[in-house]
Amino acid sequence: MINIALPKGRLGEKIYELLSKTGFCCEEFSKDSRKLIFSDKNSGVSYFWVKPSDVSVYVELGAADIGVAGKDIIDEFSPDVYELADLRMGKCSMCIAAKEDFTDDMSVPLRVATKFTHIAEKYFSKTGRDIEIIKLNGSIELAPVLGISDVIVDIVETGTTLKENNLKVISEILKISARLIVNKSAYKFKNEQIENICRKLQEAINDID
Amino acid sequence: MLLNKREDGIISELSKLYKKYGYTRYKPGCFEEYSIYQENKDFLLGKNVITFSDLDGKLLAMRPDVTLSLVRHNEINGESTEKFFYNEKVYRQVTGGKKFKEISQTGVEVLGCIDSAVEAELTLLICKTLNALSDRYVVDISHMGFIEGLLSEVDGKKCELTQFVKTKNLHDFYELAESENYSEEIIQAFKSAINICGSPSKALCEMEKVILNDLMQNAVNQMKALCRMVEKYGFGDKINVNLSTFSNADYYNGLIYNGYIDGIPHCVLTGGRYDNLLKKFNKSGGAIGFALYLGEIERFLIKDEKKVDCLIVYDNSTQSEALDMSQKLIAKGKSVRISVDVPAGLACTEIIKLSDGGIK
Repeated sequence: MINIALPKGRLGEKIYELLSKTGFCCEEFSKDSRKLIFSDKNSGVSYFWVKPSDVSVYVELGAADIGVAGKDIIDEFSPDVYELADLRMGKCSMCIAAKEDFTDDMSVPLRVATKFTHIAEKYFSKTGRDIEIIKLNGSIELAPVLGISDVIVDIVETGTTLKENNLKVISEILKISARLIVNKSAYKFKNEQIENICRKLQEAINDID
Repeated sequence: MLLNKREDGIISELSKLYKKYGYTRYKPGCFEEYSIYQENKDFLLGKNVITFSDLDGKLLAMRPDVTLSLVRHNEINGESTEKFFYNEKVYRQVTGGKKFKEISQTGVEVLGCIDSAVEAELTLLICKTLNALSDRYVVDISHMGFIEGLLSEVDGKKCELTQFVKTKNLHDFYELAESENYSEEIIQAFKSAINICGSPSKALCEMEKVILNDLMQNAVNQMKALCRMVEKYGFGDKINVNLSTFSNADYYNGLIYNGYIDGIPHCVLTGGRYDNLLKKFNKSGGAIGFALYLGEIERFLIKDEKKVDCLIVYDNSTQSEALDMSQKLIAKGKSVRISVDVPAGLACTEIIKLSDGGIK
């Protein structure tokens, strides 16, 4: 049996749809059910829904052999897993944004509000800019508007929220899409099944493209 | 999943195994000068160590690793060979946590003249060590020379490329290769390094096709010789050539090992050739070894049961009778516990109750 962790939400549902079309369907599966785990003996897979940011934890700890996680989550938490495929879905980017009239005052540390503290730290340590991180869990755009930060590091899909709050993208630091991640130990002991699922999923995605 | 083994059983089985191969027990002190860890931070699995001042003001640390102590305290030369094993506690930060933990670690180290016989013997010991836990195991083998040789063919981007090979990330590699304009032969070589994960015969054949320099050629030759020897002793099917297995090049230079057991989600054994560490201590000769992280797999081992043959329950008036009776039963070879009540969770074949009225 191969255990697959799917991120709750539209992306997870789309991935399940593709997997079920390629032979890994689960008869009892329903996105509206409150059940969290669905297994199918015939197709040899078991799915479970988890919070998108938790997928890498389930895979690293071996509860799931395979998982679908955003590149943002992989870069933020650096889980000890293999990243076997870019699923080219759920595309967006991690950007630095600030108020329209922002100019960087190099004489003081830059105040950066973000949910992705590691990504922000890694990026600014490469550029050599001294920063102060303000960790927030949501509505990051509020931080520069209310003056608690100079910039934000956050995911940008369409840019509408930024525009509505008079913010602009200063630079893009990471292109994000959904990735197929695999537990390192499971990859050794269930190699054939995992490679099979991975290959079929990629073929299904190539067909859409 | 539980492995049908106990920690103390595994330790004694492994000690016997290593002694059979002529390895001697190494028992370092618990404290070590902090400076050796500070200077070799990247050699350690966790960066933080427990430190304290000795009475003379010298900064000491609770040992987070055994190898550094072994290298520091032993005379090493390239002509003779010293073989050690150890069962020690090490003190490290819990992975992902904010606390220190005492972790049980068992390992083997060979210092001095390292030839292919030593490397093959060590590989056999790795297989036998993992086999002591479960027969469903795999040893990932790689060679630092292959990856180092490959990286020497490109300018810069070494961090990103290393990460792509480690995580088997071919898609992001292709993107980088396109932007950096890598030649077709470099792309093919990285593709193999990322993808290769399988039986030695097939994997080594693939590796041979993409050799670009002497470093890579030497690595393949060494791996071939090693795999031939290991196959001869019946462990060929346990070896998995996986080039995503590699360690810090500041310390490691040759063969690299990672051991996995079916049902345990993370690597349980790591090892390799670390001549470069010796150079940092200004010592000549070579070194190779491995460590099994027993502490990291304790949740997969059977716990000691609370079990006795006889439980003698006594009260104030029957204390001496209880002791008399337990002595007699112990002399007859039984395990006996005396107690004023029946302890929760204790399994016993017989309960003897001693009260005013005599035996019940």
